Amino acid sequence: MAAQRAIRGRVWKFGACLDSGNIAGVMAGVDPEFRNKVRPGDIIVAGINFGMGSSSEHAPRSLKEAGIAAVAAESISNIYLRTLVNIGLPAIECPGVSEMVAEGDEVEIDLRAGKIRKLGDGEVRNFPPFSDHAMAILEKGGLIPFLRETLGNKGKAGGA
Amino acid sequence: MGMTISEKICARAAGSERVRPGDMINAHVDKLYIKDLRFAKGEDPKGLYGVFKDLLKDIGVTRAWDPEKVIINFDEQPARSKVRAEGQLTAKRFKEEHGATIYEGETAGIGHNVMVEKGHVKPGEFIVGADSHSCTYGALGCFSTGIGFTETVGVLATGRIWLKVPSAIRVALAGKRPPWIWGKDIILRIMAEIGPNGAVNKTVEYGGEAVKDISIDSRLSMCNMAVEMVALNAVFPPDEKTIDYVKQVSRGDFQALQSDPDSEYESTFEFDLTDMEPYVAAPGVPSNARPLSEFVGTKIDQAFIGTCSNARIEDLRVVARILKGRQVRARVRMIVTPASFGAYFQARDEGLLDTIHKAKAMVTTSECGLCTRPSLAAEEVCISSGNRNFPGRMGDRNSKIFLASPASVAAAAIAGEIVDPREFL
Repeated sequence: MAAQRAIRGRVWKFGACLDSGNIAGVMAGVDPEFRNKVRPGDIIVAGINFGMGSSSEHAPRSLKEAGIAAVAAESISNIYLRTLVNIGLPAIECPGVSEMVAEGDEVEIDLRAGKIRKLGDGEVRNFPPFSDHAMAILEKGGLIPFLRETLGNKGKAGGA
Repeated sequence: MGMTISEKICARAAGSERVRPGDMINAHVDKLYIKDLRFAKGEDPKGLYGVFKDLLKDIGVTRAWDPEKVIINFDEQPARSKVRAEGQLTAKRFKEEHGATIYEGETAGIGHNVMVEKGHVKPGEFIVGADSHSCTYGALGCFSTGIGFTETVGVLATGRIWLKVPSAIRVALAGKRPPWIWGKDIILRIMAEIGPNGAVNKTVEYGGEAVKDISIDSRLSMCNMAVEMVALNAVFPPDEKTIDYVKQVSRGDFQALQSDPDSEYESTFEFDLTDMEPYVAAPGVPSNARPLSEFVGTKIDQAFIGTCSNARIEDLRVVARILKGRQVRARVRMIVTPASFGAYFQARDEGLLDTIHKAKAMVTTSECGLCTRPSLAAEEVCISSGNRNFPGRMGDRNSKIFLASPASVAAAAIAGEIVDPREFL
């Protein structure tokens, strides 16, 4: 499913420096019950260094499979952020986001404009908008579908 | 305005005259490292993506990108799970169909060390690896960073990767390094200062007068830990030590690039190594580091020398020097896992393994070992020369991991508690 440019959802909040080992299994290392509480379309908001550590894709994919619509954190590990985008899940680095929202808040994220808005009082935080390239990958639903479409059936590597 | 080493390498890889931090580039990759586990279907339990071969077929690519540039290593031998065994078998089949270099058996070890020792890493190259510690290679003056499984498929399909050129932090090292201070102590001190969030997605560039005195093995450890500061990459300017080493292990030309004197750094951190104390990181995150003296007396159950961070020949030498004629404390288990078979055989030839055995430490085959395989029960405490001390990283979530230099780990194994390694040198 291709990512929407504007994403609206309910917030679950997590702390700082969560490594991918503890995120794996839908945040199982932090809250084993989370997988039963989360609903498709929900949004994760976290502190600094979300997804630090291993490059294993078990952690980001478990969030995608749980139906998480976006991850917004104070900062996100490079590999983790890229993997989220590459599997078609928008990942946003937005300083101040964890102060602005509380668990259960509804927020709306505009990826192109680089804005995250709290629906209750309309408070807004800005983040650097997604590049055209990242946006194109998200709109195709991830890197694999993106490559399938852009490389077509050229049948040979390096044909892009 | 000049360019840093990393910017020059990014520009060359992107086919541009120059790049600036923040530029989006589509870079040509010089080398791709993949570990055996990434070939396992277990990496992909729902079969969404399949293994590389199936995926490439799905994309419409019948031949993977340049087999000369793809290096695969078996990080765990013998395979201890069906998933791992299947990954290794699939990797061999991939090699037959698409071509690649595979290191297995006594040519392998931990992939990052194998990459370096077998001459696959050269100054000036743009390298990516399907493992987070692929930032290690920057020690030899190249640009290198870790990528995920999906992105690895992209590189196998196109030979390229999209990347935002990182801004750079300069870490200037001054003064005279005391002989008992190794790369691990220095990087733990640096991380404590920069903090867990200070280098996110940036380049860490080492420099300063004290750099030339730091060994290649210690430089590898200092670049290996860069990902624990969430840096994109880390780089040492290539010098005589680098060039001698690279010429010794590899053939062919390379381009040793230096940062221009007027390059731009987002910030600079300065450290004087003169009279520096050994450092230890408390459990949680590696940046929880403080001088070792603050932890003296902490009881330990396990002492581990291993991982892509610190189990090279320099480390094995100092461990043997400390253990010689001494015994590991009775209730402590000490495990030594050389970082590669290259280091293992050299340690054997130098008689180091015998010394370690006689001190009642276990020496294992060369692999990732206890860094990725649970060994700690709840409440147990480990001191490790590794790079990660996250909760549950080496076993139960309520176990504790302290990170320290191999000298500090060996000293703690003898004393049964954290102790100043200088007492044993």
